[in-house]
Amino acid sequence: MYRYDAIDKEFLTDRSNEFRHQVGRRLAGELSEDQFKPLRLMNGLYLQLHAYMLRVCIPYGTLNVAQVRRLAWIARTYDKGYGHFTTRQNIQFHWVKLRDAPDILDALAEVDLHAIQTSGNCIRNTTSDPRAGATAEEIDDPRVWSEAIRQWSTLHPEFSYLPRKFKIAVTASAKDRTAARVHDIGLALRQGRDGTLGFEVMVGGGMGRTPFIGQTIKEFLPATRLLSYLEAVLRVYNRAGRRDNIYKARIKILVSSLGAEEFGRQVEEEWAQIDAARADLPDTELARIRAAFIQPGLEVLPAVSDSYEAARGANPALARFARNNVSAHKAPGYAIVDVSLKAHDATPGDANSDQLEAIADLAERFSLGDIRVTHEQNLVLPHVKQSDLPALFEGLVAVGLATPNINLVSDIIACPGLDYCALANARAIPVAQSIAQRFLDADRAELVGELKIKISGCINACGHHHVGHIGILGVDKKGEEYYQLTLGGSGAEDASIGKILGPGLNADQVAPAVDRLVEVYLAERQGEERFLDTYRRIGMTPFKEAVYVDAH
Amino acid sequence: MSAEFLKALTANRLGEGDVVFWSGGQWVEQFADAELFTEEGPAEAAVALAKAQPRIVVDAYLIDVTRSDQGVAPVSYRERLRALGPTNELGHGKQALGGAAIAALQAASGAARSTGRLDLIRRK
Amino acid sequence: MSTLIKYTANGATEIENSFVHVVDGEPVPQGADIIVSLGRIKAEGEALLASGVRVGVQIEPAEAVEDLAELLPRLALVAVAFPKFRDGRAYTSATLLRQRLGFNGEVRAVGDVLREQAYVMTRCGIDAFVPADGSSAAEWSRAAGHFRHVYQTAADGRTPAYAEPGRR
Repeated sequence: MYRYDAIDKEFLTDRSNEFRHQVGRRLAGELSEDQFKPLRLMNGLYLQLHAYMLRVCIPYGTLNVAQVRRLAWIARTYDKGYGHFTTRQNIQFHWVKLRDAPDILDALAEVDLHAIQTSGNCIRNTTSDPRAGATAEEIDDPRVWSEAIRQWSTLHPEFSYLPRKFKIAVTASAKDRTAARVHDIGLALRQGRDGTLGFEVMVGGGMGRTPFIGQTIKEFLPATRLLSYLEAVLRVYNRAGRRDNIYKARIKILVSSLGAEEFGRQVEEEWAQIDAARADLPDTELARIRAAFIQPGLEVLPAVSDSYEAARGANPALARFARNNVSAHKAPGYAIVDVSLKAHDATPGDANSDQLEAIADLAERFSLGDIRVTHEQNLVLPHVKQSDLPALFEGLVAVGLATPNINLVSDIIACPGLDYCALANARAIPVAQSIAQRFLDADRAELVGELKIKISGCINACGHHHVGHIGILGVDKKGEEYYQLTLGGSGAEDASIGKILGPGLNADQVAPAVDRLVEVYLAERQGEERFLDTYRRIGMTPFKEAVYVDAH
Repeated sequence: MSAEFLKALTANRLGEGDVVFWSGGQWVEQFADAELFTEEGPAEAAVALAKAQPRIVVDAYLIDVTRSDQGVAPVSYRERLRALGPTNELGHGKQALGGAAIAALQAASGAARSTGRLDLIRRK
Repeated sequence: MSTLIKYTANGATEIENSFVHVVDGEPVPQGADIIVSLGRIKAEGEALLASGVRVGVQIEPAEAVEDLAELLPRLALVAVAFPKFRDGRAYTSATLLRQRLGFNGEVRAVGDVLREQAYVMTRCGIDAFVPADGSSAAEWSRAAGHFRHVYQTAADGRTPAYAEPGRR
């Protein structure tokens, strides 16, 4: 894990002091709200429906034990005892006071956390694979490059006032767990024929009211040239991106209007003029960052743990958990454990202080002190000995975090929606809960298999509805909440944008509609097909007919 | 529908972020205590006074209010949530106070929810 | 005349602004140092530069600073305009002036120029400011120099964190 040194720590102290000064000036009336708002946003502080909300950055979704404990303490001290993990691998607190925000930032800085660039028209937290460093699938550790991007993008002077926000994802496995193709820039690590590392660079993906899948503008960017190339992309965007209309200001609109080929040509032209010696990271610094991610403490173990196999055979609940939440680690005898924050009566992505502290304790005992956050609003304990799995499972059960539903129908992404968010048109959380309630039968959920439901409370699409196998978008129709369903989206390596099923449904109709969609799938599926595969094979019509029965 | 002019003035406190309502020159915590404006002139005058308090509140604006058998309530669902708190955590926000006024607002809130009016789904 | 803050390695000082901003279509005042638009310098450049006064050019966000390349050695300053502080195109203009076009003269921020942006402005090589918020030189200096470390190379030439001796 990357450890902050004195330089990183002093930087956070300076940032925290700067914000304290700015809050003081606002409270004293020296700054107007118009002047202050962008400053508080650049420190992750929003004004929502009921209170301020503070979004804390979790760089590429990686946390250590002390950090999780501190988040639990902040939730208890300054909030109502819980935090909400977001679809950008961050955590947000929904009941924060402006007066407390400087103290909270100080408390975060003590454990190397901050809220820098969790909002505003700047480069946001880099998304990466929550299984980085643990999965055998990756061709390189994406955290190395994510950390390089974190440093490069932090208070980047030229790119702090972009036309609009800017999100970068780094993935290194064939299986994409970062939604790279719906980021402003998606970077997929590739290995060249000569063994060198490079990136496939995809630009212009995004969701919101005009969703796009990112297009490849460079098949193989030598990895060591990453920062100069990013500088070129950002410069072209900063100059040419639209600033007259907030809905057309993202890079996806620029790429779409120029065409990916022309955009790529302009980037190449700009890139050719950049002094690589100034812009690219020296090999020594890359080596320093890389060394920080070498995982110490992995023991040499037999590939199979007999005690774990026996425990699984004796305990059906553990066996179910193992089927759904446990996957292979690169090291023999180890496993990667997904911790679901989607218990059936819970708010998707929420964890209370007791749960956070329990996670920290369990990670300390069983996962080499490493905790990850997924963009699907779950947590991961990446380095667990198989022989520790039964004890870990019991520990998770004790705090209600052993829900065995990863990737299943009740593992739903939902934004905070109208219950909290000032931008939302409709609620998302109760809809997620009503669907989870409908699929309480764990055997049936397993029978259905992988089914990604994603719910957004407005067109900004924080709940990633465009890329849900079933997407649900909340809209406001004459003061009432309605929900528009889409089918066939995917945010993974087979990325696609969902298509609208039909007229909007009211809140009570959504869960029954999902049930009908699932029934169609179960009746039609062939072999190992997922819901998404069946939809892609048979098309919209059978699903549509099942949900909308016309009175002809 | 009557075209009655009925509005309340709301904002969030600058230092805390709490939802507040205007009542005779003061900010109060509960919607039930909010001043109701039945004419545009006094309503706009209150907005002007509120906007002159940038160190006390942020974002002051008028909301539409409706009268029904259950009492008065904000018209929009968003404003009812602001007046009550989130529906996924009934112990959080203003609804935690409980009492008759909150219960009335919750009842009004329930009435505003969609009730299957369109009847789009029927069993085959 | 407006206050001008000059920023050097030694900090910020307030000086008198001797330049007059000449609106397009208006006559050029006799004997005064002037700032004109990119369009005007393209049309009347030789005459203006031959008149013996110091000449600066103001670059609007949508204009390409590269268009000034040939004239730069004869210009006293380039003013980069911030019609709104949120419009960040001038940061690229300033960066390119310093890093690509090798301009060593004054780069001046004009328009919606606020102390909160002092840090990013100085890092992009802007070294003169006409603040819109009444900031003093001392306040400007504090805001610009707030961070002890920087993470990336930029036009100001500060040593990034990775090259600091304390880094390894």
